[in-house]
Amino acid sequence: MIEVDELTKVYRVPKKTPGLWGSLRAVFRRRYDEVRAVDGVSFRIDAGERVGFLGPNGAGKTTTLKMLAGLLVPTSGNVKVAGFVPSERRAAYLSRITLVMGQKQQLLWDLPPTETFELNRAVFGIDRATFRKTLDELVGLLEIGSLLDRPVRNLSLGERMKCELAAALLHRPEVLFLDEPTIGLDVTMQAVVRRFIARWNEQTGATVLLTSHYMADIAALCARVVVVSQGRVSYDGALDELVRRYAPDRRVIVQSTREPTAEELQEAAPFRLREGALEALVPSREVKDVVDRALRTLPVRDLTIEEPRLEDVIARLFEDSVAPVEREAKEPSA
Amino acid sequence: MAQMRASWMLALQYRAGFVGEAFGAIFWIGWGVLPLIAVFERRPEVAGWTADEALIVVGFFAALQGIVEGFIDPNLRAVVELVRQGTLDFVLLKPVDAQLLVSFHRSTPTKLPHVVTGLALAGWASSRLPDPPGVLEVAAALLLLLCATSILYGLYTMVVSTAFWFVRVDNLSYLLLSILDTGRWPLSFYRGAVRFVLTFVVPIGLMTTYPALALRGQMDAPGIVRVLAVAVAFFVASRLVWRIAIRRYASASS
Repeated sequence: MIEVDELTKVYRVPKKTPGLWGSLRAVFRRRYDEVRAVDGVSFRIDAGERVGFLGPNGAGKTTTLKMLAGLLVPTSGNVKVAGFVPSERRAAYLSRITLVMGQKQQLLWDLPPTETFELNRAVFGIDRATFRKTLDELVGLLEIGSLLDRPVRNLSLGERMKCELAAALLHRPEVLFLDEPTIGLDVTMQAVVRRFIARWNEQTGATVLLTSHYMADIAALCARVVVVSQGRVSYDGALDELVRRYAPDRRVIVQSTREPTAEELQEAAPFRLREGALEALVPSREVKDVVDRALRTLPVRDLTIEEPRLEDVIARLFEDSVAPVEREAKEPSA
Repeated sequence: MAQMRASWMLALQYRAGFVGEAFGAIFWIGWGVLPLIAVFERRPEVAGWTADEALIVVGFFAALQGIVEGFIDPNLRAVVELVRQGTLDFVLLKPVDAQLLVSFHRSTPTKLPHVVTGLALAGWASSRLPDPPGVLEVAAALLLLLCATSILYGLYTMVVSTAFWFVRVDNLSYLLLSILDTGRWPLSFYRGAVRFVLTFVVPIGLMTTYPALALRGQMDAPGIVRVLAVAVAFFVASRLVWRIAIRRYASASS
């Protein structure tokens, strides 16, 4: 469904020396920096798959999504989605896809969501019967029946996001590009959106490519992940495998009967105080030793061994592949 | 167009604004007529134009100004904002012509009274001419006014397309609006370089003066065809510039 080959996007970002004099000079003579936001990315996604697109800020996730959606013209490389070249922006292509951005909204601010829906109905040329049916379905799944007639500006962020999703799916696209659809939402609302995306994917068989900073989103929705950093793919495969490969560790957590002394802590070695408990991240083969030592030296009340958290895994993955200094200016600010 | 519908709904939500604009239109047009009254009090004609004839130009000017301020300027100025904030994404994601969509997406129907009042003024003034225009002259005038709209639209689109390179170009649209102001008086009121610029470079003068000339029966067929050609050229050029510009769109990061 989605084929990406050696995709590259280079932005030219105006370079400005700081201060008034620098600004003045930039008016007459602009100098540009070349920023390789996406640098030779390749992957394939089958129809109906749900794939998580991971990477630190500025890794090139959004730029890639925008090229897939036909908003940006690639500097080089090939993209094919549903048999179309996105950057040609053919009507037949655009009515097969959708792009939802958690940071931007298409809903008309001063009017109720129904007006945006009606607008999209006209723009996408959806006949009224199909429109009615799809809308009913979306309203049911997202539970937005009571919001439809309130001006968008009076809706909460979560309510707005749900309406935003509805507006983006009215034309029943085959491919969903979701760029941080849960950003800023509270935990309950995140779960609602997540559940909705899963149900919609199952009901319509649409292909989903999703980016998110919330690992819970990825864990709940995507069996497969593509990790990009510095504009390149650094991992492509099963999420489980990623966790295994980058996190051979276990978390050993100790609840103590009293505050351990500094000496005791030192003897028990890798334990640190974290959220009121003592915690150690240890490679699997050392777990036994560490537990033995803890039982000997610490005032243990309870001891548990857990899988590492996905956040920790990802953080470690990024640390491995990313030099943090160059991260900042990956995507242009305008 | 559904876009238009949404704009109308927005406008009608603020009904008080609509009525206010209507009164405002009459006031501003009246204000614009004052200098004419002052001038024509002392002499029967200026540069070959009688008071009624000059009034036709003022009427057409008001109508055109209403069209620009209500239907061209707000739409294209909003494009600048769309580019700056990256929300043009949503326009480009729709399976319809993006230029068409942005050209209608934020009209201000409250300027409609302006257009109507202007046309009414031109109509009233032309009925007072010693030789009132016939159907053919009226048709020619309306056609020329349509051409004027197309030229203005083309100009605006080209200026706004530069937003894809320079991002902030709102000020350019103010410049255009103030140049448009020169179309208030018949072209022959101006001389020399100014007249040349207003005829050939930024053909504002031609937009309001020619329709008035048509009503006076002073536009011949070749003249009309020439204006028509200019209008088509501006429109085609605007589409080309827009096409090139859209490929430069860099969106805004999120």
